[in-house]
Amino acid sequence: MTQHFRNLLVTWIVLLVLLGAEFGASFLPLVRSARPLILIPVVLMVIAVGTMFMQVGRGPTIVRLFAVAALVWLSVLLGLGSLDPMTRIEYLVQDASRN
Amino acid sequence: MSETSLPHEFQYSSASHQAATAISGMWLFLATEVLFFGAIFLSWIYCRHWNPAGFDAGAQKTQLAIGTINTVILLTSSLVYSAGLAFVEVGNRRRLIQCCVITWALGLSFLILKFGFEYYKDFTANLFPGPDFAINGALGGGARLFYVFYFVSTALHGIHMIGGLVLVGWIVLRARRDEFSPLYYTPVAVVGLYWSFVDVVWIVLYALIYLVGRGS
Repeated sequence: MTQHFRNLLVTWIVLLVLLGAEFGASFLPLVRSARPLILIPVVLMVIAVGTMFMQVGRGPTIVRLFAVAALVWLSVLLGLGSLDPMTRIEYLVQDASRN
Repeated sequence: MSETSLPHEFQYSSASHQAATAISGMWLFLATEVLFFGAIFLSWIYCRHWNPAGFDAGAQKTQLAIGTINTVILLTSSLVYSAGLAFVEVGNRRRLIQCCVITWALGLSFLILKFGFEYYKDFTANLFPGPDFAINGALGGGARLFYVFYFVSTALHGIHMIGGLVLVGWIVLRARRDEFSPLYYTPVAVVGLYWSFVDVVWIVLYALIYLVGRGS
């Protein structure tokens, strides 16, 4: 019991440290395209909340199936949705009104 | 009283079967919520890709201090609620009620800071994407898109928070009626899953809204 409370407290401290890390990283002079790297601590925070506060590993097996399915479909959604902006080639079009 | 003799609905073989079904049902619901918010996150990726400078100009006008305090508040509320769940597992009903009341108060403070202070500052600074929008010129279009994302995503998250407050209040009422014990506390666990999920959504939104465009 005491160990469980200690684990919860450690998780909370880790979350605050990660929050501080992403907060500090947001002020770094990164180039605009590299700025989404600030989201790396976010992934760790989500994992921490999922495993310790939501206890994804504790419930029945189907719980983990639903959790993994959610992540898979989220990846599909974000991956397929990002394909267009990431791969589209913009061709310069001559302005016809200037001719 | 053995676990098999605990009361349960007729369609379940035992009380633990009923509890497992309730927990799984909440996880399935949360999986659909992931996709619901996933579409909003995709809109952030898409709009920022085409309007990076305008998006970052909008992000730099957000209230970083309030957003950060709110993040700490939500992380703490998840810790407190999880502690309450641990207390009910060993039969400490009084501590469960205390933890739920603290969680409820933290959630309410989040909403007051968000909608009472932050939205007020945003509206008085003309950051609502309307005719008098504060950011104009070449960055205006991207900044407007950013604030559409900001208001839609935070309002939807706020609605989920209000739902969470109702659920935590319901747990307090049931705990006061002495309905939970170490053998039966499934609603406490199910509401805890929902509350932590709302926390997870905010963790992502916080970075997308306040941090990524901050130092550009």
